Amino acid sequence: MIDWGWIADHIGAIAGRLGQHIELTAIALVVGFAISLALSLWSLRRPRAKTLVIGISGILFTIPSLALFAAFTSITGLSLLTAEIPLVLYTLVIYVRNMLVGLEAVPADVLEAADASGFRPRERLLRIELPLAIPLIVSGLRLASVSTIGLVTITSTIGDAFGGLGFFIKERPFFLTEVLVGAVGSIALALAADAAFARLQRRLTPWAAARTAVDPR
Amino acid sequence: MTLPGEVWAWLTDPAHWTGPSGIPMRLAEHVAISAVSIAIALAIAFPIGLWVGHTRRGVRLAINLANVGRAIPSLAAIGIVVPFTVLIDPDAGFKVIPTLIAMVVLAVPPILVNTYSGVAEVDADLVEAARAMGLRERQILGRVELPLGLPVILAGVRSASVQVIATATLGAIYGLGALGSYIVEGVAQNDDGKLFGGVVLVALLALLSEALLAFAQRRTTPRGLRAAATTEPAGA
Amino acid sequence: MGTAERVVFEHVSKRYPGTGTGNPGAVEDLSLEVPAGKICVLVGPSGCGKTTSLKMVNRLIEPTSGRILIGDTDVARRDVIELRRSIGYVIQQVGLFPHQTVGENVATVPRLLGWEPARQRARAAELLELVGLDPGRYAGRYPTALSGGERQRVGVARALAADPPVLLMDEPFGAVDPIVRERLQNELLRLQEELAKTIIFVTHDIDEAIKMGDLVAVMQVGGHLAQFGPPAEILANPASEFVARFVGADRGLKRLALVRVGELELREATTARPGEDAAAVRPRAAADSFPYVLLVDEANRPIGWLDERRIPASGPLVVDHAEAESPLFDRHTTLKDALSMLLEAGVQAGIVVGGAGAVEGLVTVEMIMERVRPA
Repeated sequence: MIDWGWIADHIGAIAGRLGQHIELTAIALVVGFAISLALSLWSLRRPRAKTLVIGISGILFTIPSLALFAAFTSITGLSLLTAEIPLVLYTLVIYVRNMLVGLEAVPADVLEAADASGFRPRERLLRIELPLAIPLIVSGLRLASVSTIGLVTITSTIGDAFGGLGFFIKERPFFLTEVLVGAVGSIALALAADAAFARLQRRLTPWAAARTAVDPR
Repeated sequence: MTLPGEVWAWLTDPAHWTGPSGIPMRLAEHVAISAVSIAIALAIAFPIGLWVGHTRRGVRLAINLANVGRAIPSLAAIGIVVPFTVLIDPDAGFKVIPTLIAMVVLAVPPILVNTYSGVAEVDADLVEAARAMGLRERQILGRVELPLGLPVILAGVRSASVQVIATATLGAIYGLGALGSYIVEGVAQNDDGKLFGGVVLVALLALLSEALLAFAQRRTTPRGLRAAATTEPAGA
Repeated sequence: MGTAERVVFEHVSKRYPGTGTGNPGAVEDLSLEVPAGKICVLVGPSGCGKTTSLKMVNRLIEPTSGRILIGDTDVARRDVIELRRSIGYVIQQVGLFPHQTVGENVATVPRLLGWEPARQRARAAELLELVGLDPGRYAGRYPTALSGGERQRVGVARALAADPPVLLMDEPFGAVDPIVRERLQNELLRLQEELAKTIIFVTHDIDEAIKMGDLVAVMQVGGHLAQFGPPAEILANPASEFVARFVGADRGLKRLALVRVGELELREATTARPGEDAAAVRPRAAADSFPYVLLVDEANRPIGWLDERRIPASGPLVVDHAEAESPLFDRHTTLKDALSMLLEAGVQAGIVVGGAGAVEGLVTVEMIMERVRPA
C-alpha cells in the first residue's frame, strides 16, 4: 500500500517541507506571543479593553482559515505575510485568554504582600505576576502551537511555495503514500509540540510539586 | 472599482442568487453538511461523554483521544480519507464523503470532552443529595447532571461548529461545493468580488452560528452559576 | 538591631467617595500615639476601620484627611516605595510568593534594596533562626510544603528582614489553630523582648489584644476610637457602654490575661530520671507536698508524671510508670490561658518550660487563684 520507494526518493523534499512547516509555525508563535503579551498586559486592569481584545480576537478565530488566507492572497500577494498574518491572528485569542487567566489567578494576598514589601508596579509584574502566570502562559503556547501547526497545512492553498507538510496532502490527492506523508507528518508534528510544551510546563513550576505532608507546628 | 464596491456588486447581483451555484443553494449545502456532521458527532460523542462523566471511568482515554483529535489538521483529515473513499465511489467519494467524515472526526473531540466535563463538574454534593433521595443513576444523569452541565456541553457544540463550518469551507478544494467554492473559484478566476463575497458569506455564517449557540449557552446557564466556558478554540 | 520609631496618628480620617461617615472600613478622626518600641493593638468588631487605619501607615490606603507620622516625618512626604521598604507587614494569609523558596521570600526587601546575594542569604538564615526555623531545613523549601504555623513564621521573618523600625500586623495569627496561635503569640512576645520594634497589631479578638498589647485602641463601627490605653485600664475602667460590652462580661477573668506565668514565683518540681533508683527517689518525693514526681530526660525535658504512691520500693524507674500529662506553658503564657488549659486537662499543675524545652518549674491552679486575689 505504501510506496516506500517514493518516500526514499523524496526524502529531501520531505525534510524541506518539514523545515518550512516548523519555520512558518515558529514565526507565527513568536510574533503572536509578543503581540498577545502586550495586549494582555494592556487590558489586564481595563475591563473595557479586555472585552474588546477578547471579542475581536475571538471573532477573527471564528472565520474559517481558507477564507482568511485567500483574502490576504488578494491583498499581500504570494508573500510570507499572506501566510503569517492570518496565522498570527489565529494565535491571539488562544494566547490572550490563557495569559489573562494566568495573570488574574495570582492570589490577592500575594499581591498585597508584594506591594507592602515595596515592589514598584513594574518590578511586581516582572518578578511576581508573570512568573506565577507561567503555567497558564505555557498552556497557551501549547494550544497555540497545535492549532498553528494545523493551520500551516492550509497555507498550501495560497500556493505551492507554502504549505509545509500540507503540500503533500494536496499535491496528488489520490496518491496514498504522499497524502499519508503530509497528513501523518503534520499530526505527528502537532503531537510532538503538544508533548514538548507539556513537559516544559512541568519543568517550569518546581514549586507546584513541592506539596509534602504537613507538620502541624 | 474599489474592493468593497466589487464585493457589494457581486453580492447584490441577482444572478448570483439563483441556480445550483447560487448563494442560496451553496448556503444550504454548507448548512446541511455542517448540521449532519454535528448530528452524527453528537450521536457518537454525547452518549460516551455522558457515560464517562457520570461514572468517571475512561477519563484518561477520553482526554487523550481529545488531545489527538485536536492535533489533526482539517486538511489532513479530509486528505487522508480521499484515497480510500474514492475507490468506493469516484464522485461522492471525492467531493462529499471525505469532507463529511473529516468534519465528524474533528467535531467528536470537543463534544466528547465538554460533555464529559460538563457532567463531571456538577457539584458533587448535589449529586450525592440526589442519590440519597433515592433517584436512580439514570435519573440523576437526566435530572441533575445533564441540565446543570448543559452550558458546558453547549460550549463544546459551539466549538465543534466553528471547526465544522471551517472544514466544510475547506472541502471546496475537493469539489464539495458550499460557500467555500466561491473562495476557491474566486482565486482561480482572479475574481476579487467573488472571492471576498465568499469570504464575507462564510465569515457571516460562522459568526451567526457562534452567536446563536452562545445565546443558547447563556440561556441554559442558571442565573446563579457562571458559565464554565470550556470553549476550546478549535482552529480551522 | 536597629532603633524603633514612634507612630503618630493626627486626626486621621478615611471617607469613601459617595458615602457618608459611619461606613464599614471608614475611619473618623483617629488620633493616637504609639511610643517607639511598644506594641499597640487596634481591636474592634468587623467594619470598625482597624485594618484601614493600619494600611494608612504604609499607604496601601491613603487618608482623606489628617496625617500619620513615623518618628517626626509625615509618611505622605516620603516616597511611597521607600516608605514601604522600611516598614514590615504581616497579614493573615501571609502572602508568601509561591514561586520562590523560603529563603528567597525572607530576603525580599534586602533584595529590593540591592544587598549582595551573600549578605541576603546570611540575613535570611539569621531571621529564620530567630523565628524558630532551622535554615538548613527550611531555606530551600517552597511555601506550599509548609504548615500554616511555619508559613506565618516565615512571614514574620520576611517582615523583619530589613530591620524596619515599624512592624504592621493584620490578624497575623487568625488562620492557625488555637494551640499554634498561642505558641506564635508567645514567640512574638519573646522576639519583641529582643528587638523592641514599634508594632501595630490588628485583631478582632479582645483576649489577644489584652495579651499582646502594651497599649490597646478599641475602635467601633464607623471608625471611631472608643478608648485608648493600657489593657489594665481598659479592663478596669471601660470608657463607654460599647467598650464594656466589647470587652465582655467576664472582665474579672480577663484580668488574668494581664499577668504572665513568668511573673509568678514558680513552684519547684521534684524530678527524677528514668533509670534512677526508686529507693533514692522516694525520700525526695515525700519531702515535697505535691503528690507527683516529674520524670524528665537527660535534657531536663518533661516525660510524664509519676504518682508518689506508685513508686516501687526499689529498682530503676521506668518510663512506663509515668502517667497523666500536663499542659506545657512558657513564661509568656497568660494566667488566663494557663488556667483555661489546666481546667481543660483536668489536672492540678502545669509545667513551665524554657526555650529548649527544659523544665523550669510548676504552676498550680492554687497559685493562679492566689495571684489574682485582691491584696
